[in-house]
Amino acid sequence: MTDLSPAPGAGRIHAGATLPPMSAVEVDFCVVGSGAGGSIAAATLAQAGARVAIVEEGAHLTKRDFNMQEAWAYPALYQEHGNRSTDDLAIMILQGRAVGGGTTVNWTSSFRTPEATLRLWAERHGVRGIDAAVLEPHFAAVEARLSIGPGNEDDVNRNNRKLWDGAARLGWGPELIRRSVKGCARLGFCGLGCPLDAKQSALVTYVPDAVAAGADVYTDCRVRLVETDRGRARAVVADVLDRSTDRPRGRFVVYARRGIILAGGAINTPALLLRSKAGTGSGVVGKRTFLHPTVPLAAFYDEPIEGFYGAPQSVSVHHFVNRGDDVGYFLETAPTQPMLTAIAFPGAGDAHRRVVERLAHVQATIALLVDGHHDDPGGTLAVDGEGRVRLHYPISPALREAAVHALGSMARLQLAAGARELMTLHESPLTIRTESDISRLADLPFGPNLHTLFSAHQMGGCPMGEDPRTSVVSSRGRHHELENLWIVDGSIFPTSLGVNPQLSIYAHARLFASEIVKDFPPSAPK
Amino acid sequence: MLNAGAPPSPDRRRLLKRGFLGGALLLVGGALPLALRSTLVRRVPAQKLALLTADEHAILAAVAARFVPGDGAGAAWPTADALDCAGKVDRLMATTLPGVGAELRQLLHLFESALFGLVLTGSPTPFTRCSPAAQDARLETWRHSRVALLRSGYQALKRLTQATYYSSPEVYALIGYPGPPEVPRGPA
Repeated sequence: MTDLSPAPGAGRIHAGATLPPMSAVEVDFCVVGSGAGGSIAAATLAQAGARVAIVEEGAHLTKRDFNMQEAWAYPALYQEHGNRSTDDLAIMILQGRAVGGGTTVNWTSSFRTPEATLRLWAERHGVRGIDAAVLEPHFAAVEARLSIGPGNEDDVNRNNRKLWDGAARLGWGPELIRRSVKGCARLGFCGLGCPLDAKQSALVTYVPDAVAAGADVYTDCRVRLVETDRGRARAVVADVLDRSTDRPRGRFVVYARRGIILAGGAINTPALLLRSKAGTGSGVVGKRTFLHPTVPLAAFYDEPIEGFYGAPQSVSVHHFVNRGDDVGYFLETAPTQPMLTAIAFPGAGDAHRRVVERLAHVQATIALLVDGHHDDPGGTLAVDGEGRVRLHYPISPALREAAVHALGSMARLQLAAGARELMTLHESPLTIRTESDISRLADLPFGPNLHTLFSAHQMGGCPMGEDPRTSVVSSRGRHHELENLWIVDGSIFPTSLGVNPQLSIYAHARLFASEIVKDFPPSAPK
Repeated sequence: MLNAGAPPSPDRRRLLKRGFLGGALLLVGGALPLALRSTLVRRVPAQKLALLTADEHAILAAVAARFVPGDGAGAAWPTADALDCAGKVDRLMATTLPGVGAELRQLLHLFESALFGLVLTGSPTPFTRCSPAAQDARLETWRHSRVALLRSGYQALKRLTQATYYSSPEVYALIGYPGPPEVPRGPA
């Protein structure tokens, strides 16, 4: 076993290929994952003088690699090479896997956690001491670092303009989305990695901040286990992956003197605890996984829309978030690059081809269902010895009702915006040309693999709260059973958010990391 | 030295049972005489295969041909073979966890199975030996099946083959997509 423990000084990014077959380091804190939560936590700890190692499953890829080709980007930058989905394949799951994590492929939409969601967590999920005022300085700091300014009308491409126009005509209060960009050229390829470094992802902000403050990043290292000893987490064990085969070619161990911070994202973090059989005493690890299950509706216009170009998301509609006893949803757009669009469109062969040929004229509105705010239980994770993760996520009747309602709202909106015709993404699609067609939506079957569904927002599975029977970590991210283990990613959210989650993950992680720093003043001056 | 490193030896039976197509597959795949009707290999793979056997590659190639533009499309449209869809899927899936690759292979065998074809559509012909119309009919049966596992299988094949085809620059102009814009690349 080669001891690679770093000397004091600035850190760096170590590619897995440079690691010997068996190696180990000893640091103060080991951070698992380099996305929104992991990068900001690592930066905060390193800046306070702690020795930090970040372990990242994905590769270190930069703007020079980002070629805006889907054939390269999905295998290179997404979990399971772009094939992640629920166990029955009913919901495709877009989730990043790279240095920068989800932020590297994020569409830049930036929202603070809605106050109604924070209240729900306080009232129903035992979260204490988190409200808008507590989060304010953390949101402000992150917004400054990521150059998140006010929404900008110049960001609105034709895809988003139709969403704005339809919602405005119906009185649904469209809003401009704030974006995490600096010098954005509005190319439209945020989801494939920004080739200009205009997107202020963790890859170009908090990861370099952490490294500058002394943190080391070890890439291509898939953490398999957290080692525990008498209520303490002491090490993480990772497989070093061969980049060409994605198969283990070595082992890398990080011994953590002070603590381990998990930030692999909802799905991977609960899966790691389950696989390690560590800190799972509550019985709730991996349960209540939420996805904002996302229902698209395609609208066709006579004029070109070219939704594959321009800022992917610049307009949102939150008119239907609060539907009382029914599950709410919000509306945004999806970019229409050909691969993502083609697999979302139903059918095969020439019938399918005739729809894809209209790509430049497609407007894609999506409805994101706000799961977990009612009685819908979300999904449940299971793991096996091979390292495989299975997410079982049944579409409950309440979610089905919301999906059908959302399809009706999107149809009204797109007709109001002037669409020639609409096509649902059912396997037996409904074509909608007039208002009177909309009522037929209710007759369509809506179930697993009968309609295209996807998720770009993964939340829950290790919820925070004060009751160790119903939550995994405290309201400051500390594990109830393992005193020196924290979780700082989207898995801590007790429900889905009702907005795009990335900014909320950063802010909660910063809040938690600031508390960790208070408990662990640096051992020695740098 | 940590003792946590040794991987738990994969319990193959359990893996198969828990696979998304595992249970159904083992019941019908492979064991009976009908299943021995041979796969038609129309074309040798363009590159050495990474995961699939030559038969499995041929099944996937036949499936891909039906998922992407075919008979009704003009001569300008490349075929699935021309874009090496099956080969690209083979190379992609070779990098997934072994259990995932195994499931794809099982799915292909099930799809090809003459017995399964007989039960499902009344035709005891392997998929690769069916006419294009009969192949489409079999795909449609899977697509709309009341059996959730078959719909999952259909989607797995649809997404893999169509993703490979429509992410190919060769088809961009045909679908009205000008492709990624040129961006100024600064010095390293």
